[in-house]
Amino acid sequence: MSDILRYHAEQLFAEELEELRKQDTGKRPHNWLLTPQSVVTYLVGGKLKNGFDVTPKYIGSKRLMEIAVATLATDRALLLYGLPGTAKSWVSEHLAAAISGDSTMIIQGTAGTSEESIRYGWNYARLLAEGPSRNALVETPVMRAMQDGKIARIEELTRIGADVQDSLITILSEKTLPIPELNTEVQANKGFNVIATANNRDKGVNELSSALKRRFNTVILPVPDSMEEEIDIVRRRVESFEKTMDLPAEKPALEEIRRIVTIFRELRNGVTLDGKTKLKSPGSTLSTAEAISVVNNGLALAAYFGDGTLNAADLAAGVIGAVVKDPVQDKLVWQEYLETVVKTREDWKDVYRACRDLA
Amino acid sequence: MSVHILGIRHHGPGSARNVKAFLEELQPDIVLIEGPPEADTLLSWAGHDDLQPPVAILAWQPDNPRKACFYPFATFSPEWQAMLYAKEHRIHARLMDLPLAHVFGLENEAAAKAAAANEGAEGKNNTDDIKGDNGDEKALLNNARQSARGTRQHARQDNIAEDDEIIPFPVRRDPISHLAAAAGYDDGERWWEHMFEYRQQQEQVFEAVNDAMQALREELPQPDNQQERLREAWMRKCIRAAEKEMFQRIAVICGAWHGPALQNMPKQKEDNDLLKGLPKAKVATTWIPWTYSRLSYESGYGAGIPSPGWYEHIWEHPTDDSTRWMALVAKLFREQQQDTSVAHVMEAVRLANALAALRQYSRPGLEELNEATLSVLCNGESVLMQLIRDQLIIRNRIGKVPHEVPAPPLQSDIAQWQKKLRLPQTADFKDYQLDLRKENDLERSIFLHRLQLLEIRWGTMQEVTGKGTFKEQWRLQWDPSYSIDIIEKGSWGNTVAEAASSYVIDTAHHTGTLQQVCQMLESAIPAELPAVVDVLIHRINNLAATSGDVLQLMQVIPPLVNISKFGNVRKTDAELVNGIIESMIDRICISLPAASTSITEDAALALLELFYGMNDAIGLLQHAALTGSWHHTLQVIAGNRQSAPMIAGYATRLLFDARILRGEPLLQGFSVAMSVANPPAVAASWLEGFLKGSGTLLLLDESLWGMVYSWVSQLENDIFIQVLPLLRRTFSNFTAPERKKLGAKVKQGGSDTSVKIVATGDTDAARGEQGIPVVMQMLGLVDSKLLADGA
Repeated sequence: MSDILRYHAEQLFAEELEELRKQDTGKRPHNWLLTPQSVVTYLVGGKLKNGFDVTPKYIGSKRLMEIAVATLATDRALLLYGLPGTAKSWVSEHLAAAISGDSTMIIQGTAGTSEESIRYGWNYARLLAEGPSRNALVETPVMRAMQDGKIARIEELTRIGADVQDSLITILSEKTLPIPELNTEVQANKGFNVIATANNRDKGVNELSSALKRRFNTVILPVPDSMEEEIDIVRRRVESFEKTMDLPAEKPALEEIRRIVTIFRELRNGVTLDGKTKLKSPGSTLSTAEAISVVNNGLALAAYFGDGTLNAADLAAGVIGAVVKDPVQDKLVWQEYLETVVKTREDWKDVYRACRDLA
Repeated sequence: MSVHILGIRHHGPGSARNVKAFLEELQPDIVLIEGPPEADTLLSWAGHDDLQPPVAILAWQPDNPRKACFYPFATFSPEWQAMLYAKEHRIHARLMDLPLAHVFGLENEAAAKAAAANEGAEGKNNTDDIKGDNGDEKALLNNARQSARGTRQHARQDNIAEDDEIIPFPVRRDPISHLAAAAGYDDGERWWEHMFEYRQQQEQVFEAVNDAMQALREELPQPDNQQERLREAWMRKCIRAAEKEMFQRIAVICGAWHGPALQNMPKQKEDNDLLKGLPKAKVATTWIPWTYSRLSYESGYGAGIPSPGWYEHIWEHPTDDSTRWMALVAKLFREQQQDTSVAHVMEAVRLANALAALRQYSRPGLEELNEATLSVLCNGESVLMQLIRDQLIIRNRIGKVPHEVPAPPLQSDIAQWQKKLRLPQTADFKDYQLDLRKENDLERSIFLHRLQLLEIRWGTMQEVTGKGTFKEQWRLQWDPSYSIDIIEKGSWGNTVAEAASSYVIDTAHHTGTLQQVCQMLESAIPAELPAVVDVLIHRINNLAATSGDVLQLMQVIPPLVNISKFGNVRKTDAELVNGIIESMIDRICISLPAASTSITEDAALALLELFYGMNDAIGLLQHAALTGSWHHTLQVIAGNRQSAPMIAGYATRLLFDARILRGEPLLQGFSVAMSVANPPAVAASWLEGFLKGSGTLLLLDESLWGMVYSWVSQLENDIFIQVLPLLRRTFSNFTAPERKKLGAKVKQGGSDTSVKIVATGDTDAARGEQGIPVVMQMLGLVDSKLLADGA
């Protein structure tokens, strides 16, 4: 077992990618590892002709994935848009892994992301010593992706300042990166494209300029449709987490996951699952990703401090942490939910007690 | 001699194209089309300039017009193309489905049986047992209705509509979906579209369809469906008849599902036995205009199509590689002020094609186009997609029918009026503002009002903006189902005026309540039916005389007053109405004081509303004698200790508003009502009546304010808590600024804080006079020269 905390998608699922590539007979776009159909299969899972099972990476609408892959096959860039925790980055990582076999060319968008980190920077020691030359240039992931004909990923595009965002326009429309200092340019090889992710909650912070917006096809990733879908997502992700973290605890009980998902869904939608009681919604997002981390957290607690089986007490702290983001408002919402909904459920007594003890 | 079976999907553009191509190649001498034979004569109208799809054949049972059904056709319906072909090439065309005479006959028989069973059940008081029977019967009917891909759409048949909810009909899977599943599609419709409707090469497509259906019919367990069997037997009978008549090339156009049943003919005798002794009913048919929205699934039509507009597009532009469609979308977006560039369109087309390639379709379907639109043009926001749905995918429009087509007399009359008044039938709503001072507009209004009386709800009247009683705002939207209403109302007369008159008069004689008759009068006056108005007024008078219920009388006064006041604009004689109003108000004034005593609080509240309307009506009439007697009545009610306190309070208030009760008597009445001897609840409720609607009175009148103030302050703690809800109810109805001011006033304290103008009396008149000329001069009232002279 190696010491790496988290493997890249193309490393974790190397076998699947290899199998897919072996049976792939169709026409591949230039510099793509797989055909578009196989990329979709890699994302949504399925059985190959030789009986090999491909695990689903994205659980939800296949049509959305088809739009995303078809977009990348044309020369438009892809913008994945959605609430926090709706698997945007996850999808983007797997898309890059399946298409280019490399998901590492990533730029994290922040308010401080500068033009140098998107286009290119300079190694000043070299610059002073040798003067401007290709050697003194610091390549960015975007530049490398262009040269290699691979997919570059930009996370949280809308967090980046508008002026910096717009430096992408030339790259996306002309597919070239001019370097005026050296009077040269880097032209993108076939297969280059950009996947950006952006957050609903950040809407209006740094709205994309319409010129840039036009270069992207937008795919909105929704929150899971049904309870069962959400449970499935949480269960799969938690199991894969166990694999990487090698926790000694037992497999998570489906019952506990169901309860977590129920709590999250109810608070997120502001109504109980049976649709009978209205609830207040807290300010926190309560995404599926957070449900996953709550279960993971509970597993770790159970493994190291508990009896090894996941129970309500192990989960309680995580749930409260996820729900109560604002110490005043959210706390009231949570207490109300606890007293009016959790308390009345006959088989939820342990959850109620565990949560109340902590509160 | 050859028989060619062309299995189609109703309203499939690809099917229509295939049928057209096939017929042109085959050159048949007769076409047989799935449809009711009663409408055979109507086929000759196909190809007429004014018969423009979407249209429908309407068939109904003359002695029971509610029993009716439609057979709609669009340009892209294969049946329509077959009709056009027959017309153009002057060959025979016949409809060959089971005659509706028998269908209706069977249904009537079943309904009669069910009714008999129901009666029997009541007699035996054993409902459970019979219900089961009844249910089976209806299930059978239902089954027939949902038969695979039938074109028949049933008009609103009340009994059937109910059935749909009661009977848990086992949902049968669309047989096509089995084929689709085998081909790896998740939806039967989509499979069919890509296999047959989007297809460019038509070779042997009908053989393929027939084989597919043959396989399905063999593999799937077939529900035992009597009506399906009858229909197919009748179709075979028609084909045999055509063969007997020595037609050489017979083309048969029918739903794909029936294909194999017509191909493999059983013995003639079997069919004849099956069709023997079927019950019959009378059936009449005509063409009526249809709409695309009625053709779509949304309106609950069995063989509907989800996207008529899209189908029309691929019918008209079969080779469109989605560029033309995207251009339409872009145009629509630009009309909505959405910036859409040519580059957007290009990108969307490319994405749609990439998606189609990814899904291994030969060309993008509507789903791919929609997804591309959503992703490229809408930035993922689905709001605008609804616009595309309405404007392009459904693209609501209405067909046209030549007026020479024989139609029931009432329908022809309506069509003539529509033409004369230039009020065309439209699929989407259209607004008209009518100026009743103009001849044409007045006639339009009369026509529309008459249709309203006939309960044909083509137009809805809307609130007019601006002042004036000579304007009317109408919103018109035609629904093909009005044809049924028209046929049904046809039994009342052959023209609109005649039918409306006899219908309203008949209804008036059958309704007992004054209110309903008054409402009818209200709507009859703008319809200008003098005979009807006379009858209605007579009827109202009779009802009012016998009615002991003063509340009912009060309810009808406001609308009647409206009529008498505003009827004149329409040149109607309002005198007649005035007569009955006077007698009714007299009756009310006499019995109202008694009706205001000993009633519960809820009843008092309801009465209060009537008082309000009544008072307004009287104010509107401006009839001195009536006003006088109304005020007298109010005084009696206000002075009567037995009157419900809320009513008494309100009567006092109305008298105050009318400036009859002022000053000292008002204060007296007020203080009597608020005196400590009264139970607090009574006082509070009186106050509620008095302050109904506005608290300004309290703000302005210091003495009243003082009385309320001291009354509230002397209340004991627990009594205060008792009356608090009542007071709260009163005050919460006031406007926010009023409440704010009242609050401020309470904060200031009691009544003693008011500012009073105090005259001290010690004015020196002489000194005052000296100043007057200067003031006059400053005001420019006096000539300065005069002033100088005086000085």
